[in-house]
Amino acid sequence: MNGSSVVEPPDFQAATAAAAAAARASSSEQDEWSASECGFLDPEVQRVMRSGSAAEDITQYPMHGWVDVTKEFHDACAELQPGELAQDMLFGLFEAMSAIEIMDPKMDVGMGFDKQDLPPPSFEAAIAMGAIKLDDLTPSELIGIFDALFSCIVSWLEGNSMDQVLFTCLYLHAPSKIKDKALRVFCTAVRNLIVVIKNIIAGAAVNEEEDFQLYGNSALLGAEKAQPATIFGSLKEVEDELVRKSKQLAAPEDWMAVVHRLRFMRHLFQVIYQVEQMANIESSEETMNEIYKNLNVASELLPLIRRTLDRGTQPEKGSEAPNPMGFSPRIHDRSQPPAFPRSIKIRDRPASYQFLEEMVTRFKYACKVIRHKDYYSALNFFIEYSKKSGQCILSRSVLQSLFSANIRVAHGKQPMKQFLRHSVQIFNSPPVLNTKHPVAADPKVQQHLENFFRYCINMNTFTQFIRICGFNRARQRDKLARLIENFDTIQVDAARLDSLMNQLANEKAMEGNEPLSTALKHSTHFSTWVLYNCFRAMFIFLMSGFELELYAVHEFLYIYWYPYEFLVGFLVSALTRTENILLAQEEYAEHQSKIQSNSGSGGAAKNRKAAKPKKNKKQQRPYRAEIVFYHALLSLCGGMYKAMGALTKDGRVRLPLSKFDNEEIRYNRRFLPFATLTSPPPVSYVEFKNIRDHMMRPSAEELYSYAAKHFDQARNVLESIQNPDQEMLDLLQIARTNFVVMNVLARGHQKEVKRQPEFDFSKHNYFPIIKLK
Amino acid sequence: MSDTDAKEVVKDVQMDSSGPCTESLEKTQPWSYTFCEFEDESQLKVIQNMIDKELSEPYSIYTYRYFVYNWPDLCLFAMDGDRYVGVIVSKLDMTLPGVPQGYIAMLAVDEAYRKQGIGKTLVVMAIEAMALKDAAMVVLETEMTNKPALALYESLGFIRERRLLRYYMNGVDAFRLKLIIQDTGNLPDTDD
Repeated sequence: MNGSSVVEPPDFQAATAAAAAAARASSSEQDEWSASECGFLDPEVQRVMRSGSAAEDITQYPMHGWVDVTKEFHDACAELQPGELAQDMLFGLFEAMSAIEIMDPKMDVGMGFDKQDLPPPSFEAAIAMGAIKLDDLTPSELIGIFDALFSCIVSWLEGNSMDQVLFTCLYLHAPSKIKDKALRVFCTAVRNLIVVIKNIIAGAAVNEEEDFQLYGNSALLGAEKAQPATIFGSLKEVEDELVRKSKQLAAPEDWMAVVHRLRFMRHLFQVIYQVEQMANIESSEETMNEIYKNLNVASELLPLIRRTLDRGTQPEKGSEAPNPMGFSPRIHDRSQPPAFPRSIKIRDRPASYQFLEEMVTRFKYACKVIRHKDYYSALNFFIEYSKKSGQCILSRSVLQSLFSANIRVAHGKQPMKQFLRHSVQIFNSPPVLNTKHPVAADPKVQQHLENFFRYCINMNTFTQFIRICGFNRARQRDKLARLIENFDTIQVDAARLDSLMNQLANEKAMEGNEPLSTALKHSTHFSTWVLYNCFRAMFIFLMSGFELELYAVHEFLYIYWYPYEFLVGFLVSALTRTENILLAQEEYAEHQSKIQSNSGSGGAAKNRKAAKPKKNKKQQRPYRAEIVFYHALLSLCGGMYKAMGALTKDGRVRLPLSKFDNEEIRYNRRFLPFATLTSPPPVSYVEFKNIRDHMMRPSAEELYSYAAKHFDQARNVLESIQNPDQEMLDLLQIARTNFVVMNVLARGHQKEVKRQPEFDFSKHNYFPIIKLK
Repeated sequence: MSDTDAKEVVKDVQMDSSGPCTESLEKTQPWSYTFCEFEDESQLKVIQNMIDKELSEPYSIYTYRYFVYNWPDLCLFAMDGDRYVGVIVSKLDMTLPGVPQGYIAMLAVDEAYRKQGIGKTLVVMAIEAMALKDAAMVVLETEMTNKPALALYESLGFIRERRLLRYYMNGVDAFRLKLIIQDTGNLPDTDD
């Protein structure tokens, strides 16, 4: 049977009509089917009906009189091959793949149970059975439950379903029924923590389905109202009680281990709660200090907790429960959506506390975002933070919340538009943005500026760039591709603004208003700012393909070529141009002040004015370090580009030898997001090919030595950097090693063995160490 | 998109990846094997057994039927005599109006018959069949840990277009691979 006839309407209609007829025959007394008998009371069916447009037809279906089509049905069936099915129009691949075959252990959750298995006990059943204690828990029992609950929180944050990790703890189902105060307060805190964490993650909106499951058993969570504001106090109270109690004991260590856990929970909870509250708070600096203090206490408690892990009850060997008492691992198996059974892995206790320790460190790092008061340095911070904290959804969300509870608000109540304006001023200080500037109050100028920044906000490009840094690394690349396209319209607008400012300056000059015109002297301030950010997005997009392992070895050549030939150079020239503008402005200001001081005031003022520019000189090279670093990256890209050229020429790179392969198509696909930009103009495959052909003209040995030279340059640049960070040291090692490898190959080593080398990216995400096998 | 849920597996189909850098189909073509299309129900069990054996990811009977009865000509077998030793299951449909897109859902080769180019031959045959029907591109997903499969597809000119985090039920990441046969320019992605 061919594809089209499977969905041919006659077959389908015959089959459904016959099914209806058969159904009618079996219930002949009834004239009509009730809704429930048609399955319409099934919640799943109702949901589909509500959402589906075809629902109307279905409702009509049982209401009409029936026609006997048994014969037609059998005739239609005769046309089918054995095993063939009539396919509903709406039954596609998704439905086919979602179907569950009953009794297949890979698909049927129920197959995980033994015949002898008792149903998993609920909270009430467990109490009735005496399986869980509600009062007078020993320190060991409390520690066991607390540690298991921290493991569940961590496992939840790692993407597992809330029901299948957290709510397997029966105590969480109804904490108010727990009589033991420490346990009750702790469990209440966990429930509130869940609510607050969910709010933060939902608010930050940098989560994807693969990161985190936002939804869970809301019925269980809703049963007791969340009161996050009271948690800190009640934890403190029970801690104090236990401390008093333990003082009367000969061996207070066990109770103190309980206290440390309660205290850790209190400070962790307070941090998360305050982060959530950031949006509504006037003074963010003060809250930030509070958060930081709480984080410090939390991180001091963690070593104490980790030292006392063995004081708690431990999970039983072979059991799925993270603790012997209080957990019912399969309690929600039957309430899960109909899907294939997914294995749930709850982290063990040491690993969970390790996670929490790292998370607290990440939060502390996130607090430093408050220091970054302009776009340039904030973006740098977000990019670095993502490199270090990209895996943890809560850490990423917390940074977003701290930076801007609302997308239009940065650092407290400063509107985003104001923030961007301030940022451009910090970045390259366009004269018109200086409030003391003679034309700053000019309504025409103000209007143009207002329009530009409003446009930046409406396009959302800049704010979006920062937000994208909050997504997981794989999604970042997808989103950057779209972001880069957005830059084009803003570039156009920025260029227009620049030329307007220049025009204005010329007009003033024509009017004979020389000082004003000079002061207005405008360069390409706004376009440079926009382009610089666009280049950065392009660079991250391109290089992230290495980190995500998207590029085949034979593709490395053109990927490294583009930043070597263009992109890094663009970045350097944008920054150099910016520094030059700043310098020129500085010189002009100096010149002006000289004129003023010579003509007007006395000697004291002169001295003061003369001292000022000297101090500023140092500040006017704010991009020095970044430019130097880009020079190193440029040499590394050049080294890799020529190394790949040499290896290819030497026959050491496996090339696709298929009639389906087309390098031009691959090239175009890899640079697709850049194709829509006006600036930088897209570079066609033909241009690339010409440049590559030219590069590859020398012998392989010569090419190896050219590559070695680039790596040597990179090494020199990196060695010249004072106080290098870890990344620079890693790059230095890569440059050194590759320099040696290229020289070895240039001397004809392994000439007879044409094996593809190994490219080891373990030191750096963007640059490999080339290893000969 | 429904087809993003179909999963793909290849186990050690590719020839030794540390071998010489130039390899061509001719050298490794297993001429002693025969290849045929899906014909009837009796072969369904064969497919199920071969795929089930290799896969962690379960497929319901409907998934198999969806593919083999809609696109029987894109379900191909490799045979050693009358023994089934390899299978590829794929489809071709319009994910965008007027743009036929091929999709390779499953590929498996019997363990005893690997490293002989059987998998590659099956993929090439399927792509050729798709190309005859004007396929603009062919896509598939594969586990990022499945190096032989990645090497196989790369040698045919596929690119790894996207990384899909925790795509499979076992928590492993996937790559979405794409081979563009006709350069349709700036085609939007159909698989987001």
